[in-house]
Amino acid sequence: MATLELHGLVKRFGGVTVVDGIDLTIPDGAFVCLLGPSGCGKTTLLRLIAGFVAPDAGEIAVGGKRVSAPGSVVPPERRGMSMIFQSYALWPHMTVEQNVGYGLRVRNLPADEVRRRVATICAATQLEPLMKRYPSELSGGQQQRVALARALVVEPQTLLLDEPLSNLDANLREEMRFEIRRLHDEFRYTTVYVTHDQSEAMATADLIVVLNAGRIEQAGTAEDIYRRPSSAFVARFVGGANVLPGRLAGLATPFSIRLEDIELVAAPGAGAAGAVRGTVVRRVFLGSSRDYVVEADGELVRVTTPPHVDVQPGEPVWLGFPPERCHPIESVPAGGS
Amino acid sequence: MTRGSPRDFSRALFGAAALVLLAMVALPVGWLVATSLSGPHGPTLENYVTLFTDPTLVQPFIITLESSAAVAILCVLVAVPMGWCVARTNMPLRRLVRVLVMASLVTPPFLGAIAWELLAAPNTGFLNQLARVAFHLDRAVHPFNIYTVAGLTFVNFLYTFPYAFTFVANALERVPADLEDASAILGARSAQTLWRITLPLILPAILAGGLIAFLQSMTVFGSAAILTLPAGFHTMTTRIWSLFQFPPKPALAAAASMPILLLTLLLLRAQQLILGRKGYVVVGGKGARRAIVALGKWKWLALGFCALVLLNAIVLPYGALLDAAFVKVAPAVPTPANLTWSHLHFVFFELDATPVALWNTMILALGAATIGTALALVVGYLVARRAVRGWQLLGFLATAPLAIPSIVLGVGLFLAYTRPPLLLFGTLWIMLIAFVTIEFPAAYQQLVSVTSSIHPELEEAGRLLGATRLRVLREITSPLMRSGLVATWCFVFIGAIREISAAILLFTAPTRTIAVVIYDLNESGDTGSIAVLGLLLMVVTFTVLAVANRVPIAVTAVEEFRE
Repeated sequence: MATLELHGLVKRFGGVTVVDGIDLTIPDGAFVCLLGPSGCGKTTLLRLIAGFVAPDAGEIAVGGKRVSAPGSVVPPERRGMSMIFQSYALWPHMTVEQNVGYGLRVRNLPADEVRRRVATICAATQLEPLMKRYPSELSGGQQQRVALARALVVEPQTLLLDEPLSNLDANLREEMRFEIRRLHDEFRYTTVYVTHDQSEAMATADLIVVLNAGRIEQAGTAEDIYRRPSSAFVARFVGGANVLPGRLAGLATPFSIRLEDIELVAAPGAGAAGAVRGTVVRRVFLGSSRDYVVEADGELVRVTTPPHVDVQPGEPVWLGFPPERCHPIESVPAGGS
Repeated sequence: MTRGSPRDFSRALFGAAALVLLAMVALPVGWLVATSLSGPHGPTLENYVTLFTDPTLVQPFIITLESSAAVAILCVLVAVPMGWCVARTNMPLRRLVRVLVMASLVTPPFLGAIAWELLAAPNTGFLNQLARVAFHLDRAVHPFNIYTVAGLTFVNFLYTFPYAFTFVANALERVPADLEDASAILGARSAQTLWRITLPLILPAILAGGLIAFLQSMTVFGSAAILTLPAGFHTMTTRIWSLFQFPPKPALAAAASMPILLLTLLLLRAQQLILGRKGYVVVGGKGARRAIVALGKWKWLALGFCALVLLNAIVLPYGALLDAAFVKVAPAVPTPANLTWSHLHFVFFELDATPVALWNTMILALGAATIGTALALVVGYLVARRAVRGWQLLGFLATAPLAIPSIVLGVGLFLAYTRPPLLLFGTLWIMLIAFVTIEFPAAYQQLVSVTSSIHPELEEAGRLLGATRLRVLREITSPLMRSGLVATWCFVFIGAIREISAAILLFTAPTRTIAVVIYDLNESGDTGSIAVLGLLLMVVTFTVLAVANRVPIAVTAVEEFRE
């Protein structure tokens, strides 16, 4: 069992609190994404879980056993975890085969078993023809596979991934996303995946944890986070929604609405009742859609329309806000855009 | 970032390394300060009063400053055009020029000075003899005289300009062509671009090079001792040395060390400020290419200029040494009649000092290189990985010896280890401590950069797969550092076999080194033996350098570190 429990976790570097009271339970076998902008503390949180960093307060338990608390940290090598680093961290002086087999040799397994298990994992990750090569002789995607194979060959209970796809080009990134999910489903270890890319998070995770300034803003499924953001930060960071002032039961309450959920029409009365008049400030043609920035009541509103809706900048438009698409937000913390 | 558990062995290592470094720096400097303030009847400022009033102490100070300033200016005037020609033009033989500049960098100034004695001593100097024959001059006339302040300045310039050259050439190589193209596209001619864009960009490097040249010639002992003593004047370093001659005045010597120490601190601080100005230093990106200027027919003039400098720094001096080693009475044009093996035979089979000095030099160089590299590895690793609290303190202590000129360190060590409980004077230990201290900062800086080039994630990946910290160090870190370690070891070794500034104050007859023997022989005028020993020193140096160069220093780190 590798249920991962974080309780009141705090980490400071110098005077800066990087991780600020994180409580989170990750069930055994789950795939969790820590999503947030750079500097939000997600990498530090991952390094706390790995045991490279000691917490200043709080504790971490794996399968009910405490592994991290201030002043007592089980070292990384005794945690039964594996990690994929952003740099891949392949050892340049070892071949693919030696890199992949390292964790098994450290565990003092007999040589023929090492060979057998390395061969099996290399087959699963399509590395067989490359076993005798050195990392510098591999492409980025191949290096990524070696990093995966090296992490998985030891059959970890927990796999940690730190922005593993940020060094790959767009096509490969998409392919590896599914590969990472496929391997997770095949081996059923607990996965903690750190990224700043919301589409990566949505494509892979069971549970997305949005982090901001060292705190959890919202935790939920991709659908939850996207459709029902609980804060202005989440609304803006995940998919870039509008956060606008509104009224709910007579009280001033900000609300969020997706770009594609706003109805934009060029003539009054053609759209929903209660439409707001505005002026087009900017218009961008994106092929499958058009992106507008409209000024209405002193607010700049971003709207996405089908490509056939074509209004010149400076022309008036009417914006409709379907109430079922507007999500009230209780408070407006600073940050994000 | 602090890593590892509290009971990690890195704590103990940190404590040990910090203590060693502290002792290395604080002990000699502490005794220096204390002694300079002491008199026969308790604490006094008398030594400092003497320092500023006695003309025999003030005069060397002025000579040194004047000569060093002249060296710095000469170095900049020569290093900038030469660096530009080598780094940014299509001048022929650029590689050879660079190699020869490096050869003059590793030539000990005292050896250069001895060679220039052979070339330009007033009466016997080869160039003077040549001039008399060529222009039918009288025997009493000597166009060249190396035993002057000008002569000392010239020799110091020849063996310090490589520092300025390296700064300038490296900076020029890092100026991205884009910056110059941007100027050209706006209509600037290439001379204008050079003057208004390129030179201002490398100005910090030029200034830093000049400062280093000043510092080097201010603190040099070997060349100064060889050229000033026959001429009957002193520089600061030779004056300090003379205070140790009978009757010794260590308290005055300690006081006389203070101005050099303070000036060195000041100049190093100035250099840091110049090089540290952000936005001014050019950092070339990965794809930054540099533009090569086609010189046309001017390239021969450029080559001629470089050749003239290297003729004086390398060709003539080494020619003179070779000549002295193999002709009966140097300097003389070698003919089959006056060639001889007698100097070689004398040095290796008759001179009593040779076996002792050879043995001492080898032991000291091997010891200093091994101990220095090992200590630098521990400290460099702890600092580069920020593996312990207080790593900044370690880094400071490790570079502190840079600010202590060798001769000042020699005075400090003499004072620290001529009294109980550490009676090390007269043993090889005190020389070993001196050599390790002198070479340590460079070794440390090299190993910090080697460690930094190894991505920490490479080690962390090993930890997570179940290897302990020690096992990771053994199986992952050390193999990746091997070439860097070998190179560092070689550089400390070379530094140690040529050291004279501190050794001259610390040696006794049984602990003589080759460099000390060469210096002694120079006083007795035995040029043949000096040449043989000097060339031997250089053969060893170049052999070790060749080994070091065969090992690629670059370590392949997979990607650059993000954090």
